[in-house]
Amino acid sequence: MTSTPSHLDRVLNRLGRVLRNPNFLALSGLAVLGGCASNAPQDTWAPGGPNAQIIDDLQRPVFAVAGIIGLIVVAAVVYAIIKFRDRGQPIPEQTHGKPALEITLTIIPALILTVVGVFTFRTVFDLSRTDDTEMIINVTGQQWWWEYDYPVQTEFGIDKPIITSGQLVFPVGTKVMLRQTSRDVIHSYWIPKLNGKRDAVPGRVHLNRLEADAPGIYAGQCTEFCGLSHANMRMEAVALSKDDFAKWVQGQLSGYQAPAAGSLAKQGEEVFLNQCVRCHQINGLTRADGSLAIAAPDESMVSGVAPNLSKLMTRNTFAGAMFDLLTPQCRADVWGSSSQDVGEKYLRGVSQDCLNQTDLRGWLRNAPEMKPMYANPALLTSTGGKYRGMPYLGLSETDIEKLVAYLLTLK
Amino acid sequence: MFTTGSKFYIALTALSVVSFAVYMILINPSSIGATALFGLVAVGILLIWMALYTRDAEHVSEAESGANAAVPSPSMWPLVAVVGVVSMLIGTITSEVVFVLGMVTVLAAFVEWMIQAWADRASGEPAYNASVRKKILNPIEFPVIAALGLGVIIVSFAQIMLAVERSAGAVIFMVLASWLLAVGTLFALRPSLKKGIVTTVAVVGSVGLVAGGVLATGAGLRPELVEAAAEGHYTHRDCGPEKSKYGDKLPLEAVSARSGVIATVELIEGKLVVSAQGIPGPQDSITIARSNPSSILFRNKSEGEYRLVAVIGSTEVAEGVTKVDEVCTQLIENGMEQILTLTLPKPTVNGGEFYLFVPGLAGQQVELVVPL
Repeated sequence: MTSTPSHLDRVLNRLGRVLRNPNFLALSGLAVLGGCASNAPQDTWAPGGPNAQIIDDLQRPVFAVAGIIGLIVVAAVVYAIIKFRDRGQPIPEQTHGKPALEITLTIIPALILTVVGVFTFRTVFDLSRTDDTEMIINVTGQQWWWEYDYPVQTEFGIDKPIITSGQLVFPVGTKVMLRQTSRDVIHSYWIPKLNGKRDAVPGRVHLNRLEADAPGIYAGQCTEFCGLSHANMRMEAVALSKDDFAKWVQGQLSGYQAPAAGSLAKQGEEVFLNQCVRCHQINGLTRADGSLAIAAPDESMVSGVAPNLSKLMTRNTFAGAMFDLLTPQCRADVWGSSSQDVGEKYLRGVSQDCLNQTDLRGWLRNAPEMKPMYANPALLTSTGGKYRGMPYLGLSETDIEKLVAYLLTLK
Repeated sequence: MFTTGSKFYIALTALSVVSFAVYMILINPSSIGATALFGLVAVGILLIWMALYTRDAEHVSEAESGANAAVPSPSMWPLVAVVGVVSMLIGTITSEVVFVLGMVTVLAAFVEWMIQAWADRASGEPAYNASVRKKILNPIEFPVIAALGLGVIIVSFAQIMLAVERSAGAVIFMVLASWLLAVGTLFALRPSLKKGIVTTVAVVGSVGLVAGGVLATGAGLRPELVEAAAEGHYTHRDCGPEKSKYGDKLPLEAVSARSGVIATVELIEGKLVVSAQGIPGPQDSITIARSNPSSILFRNKSEGEYRLVAVIGSTEVAEGVTKVDEVCTQLIENGMEQILTLTLPKPTVNGGEFYLFVPGLAGQQVELVVPL
């Protein structure tokens, strides 16, 4: 006697064929191996500071418990599907209500969730502390880069405000409070190795603790979809030893050094004054008449700001940390250095030999081609002609040459 | 050539075309109402085509359909539709609201009438036909009627609260809430209460509230609301003398506004105390991100009325003549607070360009820093 296979039998057979398929096995293997990557700067399972450690201490046991329960449930469901599949047998006797079983199955998850809840709330409160803050940094998001401003804090040698972008620099072992907001849409600040994510919302100030155990560069990514170049809105937090941080502050507060008269860089300064200062500020830069050159990005940018380029070459990245200012080799030298050496190497900044000329020149040549932005003047009617991102400037190769020479002096 | 159904849809579409034309010409050619009417025209054309193409789906014999089994029951919907049409016409020369209400009435009447006519032909049994109608229309009618009833009650209540004095309004609110709680509790505790009593209480309460609303509408808004609205004084941020005693100082106390402030400035017994969100201890200055709207809460904890003034730069009004740009809160009584929202597109270059102060307090300024 032959029997017709049931629908479930057919499904199970098909599933079996898929599981035995070499392509499926290869892809699954790659996915599993992806979890073993050692070069994973945004690994959420490798805390680099006490705040991330608090989260890690919570997520590991919860993940284990949830994983075990998940496996038990899946195994039970699969067992029931296979064991009791329809073979044409009569429907078994139906019963209703098993108070003891139902109560047990309610109490056990409730107890588990209660325990998880208690520890979760404790973690949430620990991460919300503000009474032990040692340093304040204001963080402002806009499409598609982060601005960091350091208000006056004489205990850290900051006797006048510092503004930078792309890379957040802070002293190691210091409880830093980020006061986050946004100028345009909602963004989210996340350095996985240092803390969880926190939204930056226009009109509001959200607080986010940051602390690193060791010097190093910690990578992050905007985690709230914020428009065309959301995926390119990156950030890096650079933790320096307290001595190195003091040097960094000293460097940021040092005065503007104008290029030598007659040099290519001096000609680049003129190009900057003609083209770039409309949006980009360089503190201390003066016009020919001796007046301070103050950028007016509010006249052409939706967000009202463009990155302040003072001391640009003390940073390792530009354009919302999307591009490196360092060549791959020099970048690897800084990023791959030990926590003892990273500060010293980072503070060297960008030298002429290490400058990533390809990307910087490409950016100056045609920025919207390198990073998706709303920068086509013909399509800006809804914003009154204001840009979201850097527009195409139509610079000549000669001007680019001069500008690169000038930008290299900004240390 | 034309079937019964197609004639009906042709009439409906023609009416829609007229409504659309009238609306476009006389009311508002760019509003959502025009879009809706145009959609109605498009749907009407589609239905005409379907009715003609399928010949009204005449594959069902008249005997099977029972179409002639009984005379359709009398209906009030044609009358309602006429009221709607008249309202639409009146609306074209009075107000858009009347036109839209008329349009909604006409549409509702047509839907009701169509379903009723269709249900009357479902069988030769009136009771069954009525049940068919209820099955289709009740899920729509009940929520709509409930929403309308709730709307009438809310509007009535709002009218009462806007007509009476503020202090009386609070009392009325408490009395009504207590009455509702008491009646609800009674109904819950006594489920066996006679249906007639429950109905009577509900009807008397609702009618009383609506009657109160009608009376309050007749009485009009309380004087301070009328005068304040006439002055447009709710959000003024002028720094001179108060223009009116009716300025509303409460709306900016909303929780959302309060939780979004970057700093709080308190006037405590004649001394300005500044705290910034997330920064421990009192502050000498407030840092504001450039071009970023930032809210500062001003709270008066001193006797008398004070306002917070923000100096946010200067403007050249004539050759060599500059005017200091200021933004102010209103005069705040002791115990009250208000928010000042500032957007500063230019940075502080030399320091001291932007600052906060309270008129009457000499030597107390809070610097606003906009990093360069």
